[in-house]
Amino acid sequence: MTVDFIFDGLNQLFPAVAGNDFFLIIAMLLPVAALLGFITIYGFGVIYSEIKVSSFIQDKTGPMGQGPGLHAGKWGLLQPVADGIKLFIKEDIIPASADKPLFILAPFLIFIGALTAFIAVPFGEKIIIVDMNIGIFYIIGVGSLAVIALILAGWSSNNKWALFGGMRSAAQIISYEIPAGISLVVVIMLASSLNMQEIIAYQEGGLFNWIIFDNPFMPIVFVIFFISALAETNRTPFDLPESESELVAGFVTEYSGTRYAIFFLSEYANMFVISAVAATAFLGGWQSPFENFLNTPAWSVFWMISKTFFLIFVMIWVRWTVPRLRVDQLMHLCWKVFIPIGLFNVFAVAIWIVVIG
Amino acid sequence: MIKYFSDIFTAVSTIAGGMFITLTHLVKAKKGIATLQYPEERWPRPERNIGFNSESYNVIRSRLHVDMDDCIGCLKCERACPVDCIKIETAKAPERGEDIKDVKHVGITTNGTRKAMVVTRFDIDMTECCYCNLCTYPCPEECIFMTGGPNGKKHPIDYEFSEPDRSDLIYRFAKPGTKEGMENILNEKSKVEA
Repeated sequence: MTVDFIFDGLNQLFPAVAGNDFFLIIAMLLPVAALLGFITIYGFGVIYSEIKVSSFIQDKTGPMGQGPGLHAGKWGLLQPVADGIKLFIKEDIIPASADKPLFILAPFLIFIGALTAFIAVPFGEKIIIVDMNIGIFYIIGVGSLAVIALILAGWSSNNKWALFGGMRSAAQIISYEIPAGISLVVVIMLASSLNMQEIIAYQEGGLFNWIIFDNPFMPIVFVIFFISALAETNRTPFDLPESESELVAGFVTEYSGTRYAIFFLSEYANMFVISAVAATAFLGGWQSPFENFLNTPAWSVFWMISKTFFLIFVMIWVRWTVPRLRVDQLMHLCWKVFIPIGLFNVFAVAIWIVVIG
Repeated sequence: MIKYFSDIFTAVSTIAGGMFITLTHLVKAKKGIATLQYPEERWPRPERNIGFNSESYNVIRSRLHVDMDDCIGCLKCERACPVDCIKIETAKAPERGEDIKDVKHVGITTNGTRKAMVVTRFDIDMTECCYCNLCTYPCPEECIFMTGGPNGKKHPIDYEFSEPDRSDLIYRFAKPGTKEGMENILNEKSKVEA
């Protein structure tokens, strides 16, 4: 959508050379550059809020400074910047026995997975980089790219902790993709479309038209999707792939400096994508919670971002409340709880649609 | 089958309970924070019963202080010290009871005693000091005292002795004079000894 918009704009601006491929490349690269800037700024914000929320939950203050340049700025606002600078100027170590090409490839692969998912996230009626017919399917597909990156990271490190972490993450992400997919199937059944904008259009008209309040089964579907999504992003309580107390740091054990920072950033970018999908599929996307209230295109960005950030806050909140699951509990939760209940929900909602809706 | 659903119910209810507790901590963050922003905030001074009404006194013996204008160099505190942490060196004053500006020597104490000695060195090693307060009693001019101790005025005390270097904890009270003035006095001393 935005790509077409920029392409048309460039063609109108320079009619003499209209329609050449160079404009198309610019039209594609501009949104991606904007996206990278957005991810960076969002990364600083979310890392800061993670530090502060965790500190307040544990009755601490978190980083506190008394002025810029000293102790990470007022209220520690510059702490994420300091962390970033520290990570980027650190020595980049590649272990001698590591599989070098794969070791270098893994962080970029995981970042590509996180970045490409962003392009189908709608921020408004026209504000979406590419409006695909299969948007929700595309995000799930691209999100699975993380598995291969994590296995690559674990394998190429040539370290038993890293390999353990990689294998665990593969098992975990592949398992939890099923309940997440089943939950989204219910949403697709209701909206009868895979297109993100059409799913949002289905939820038009205020709070009670949102899919989460569509019928009595939807809150359960939402919870299953959200928890499965949490497991897919490898965050606590599902951080078995990088559990510090067992596996040192899991698949990132051998990574340092910039490469580690990229892993770190992709985790937070994945959080945003997952929360954005949950907000789109269940919480009305960029629509205002009240009909005809602040429902303009500019406010749509605000609503989308605030809904997403609320879900990110819940993720952070869960992280500092719930302890990590054991491996067998993890598999039990997925295969014996989420999948049966998720399948039951698909069945029940199908009957609901036929009989009532 | 009943156990399956009761387990799910237990999991959901306990996680909800835990989430509620962490949320209350998050909401009450301003009141409940246990961390002290140390250099800006300090713990209140501990209260202690010293046997009598302590309102006008500080009950903490914080550190030794010497009022050099009143010190007559009698060495009584040095002898009283059980751990030998006080080191005093003196030289004979050229004129009894006269000021020597070069070494900032004041001739007459606040008690009216005319000084016969110039104190060229008065070091207290606070790393060795055992806070027994024994040096303060023999002092005829009451010029050595514990700040914040029973002799001191009530004032906010910095009870944290922290220095980047251990040698900074040796407090040198003797006033640094000019080089020439110091040499003059030391020359007098060596003449007398000769």
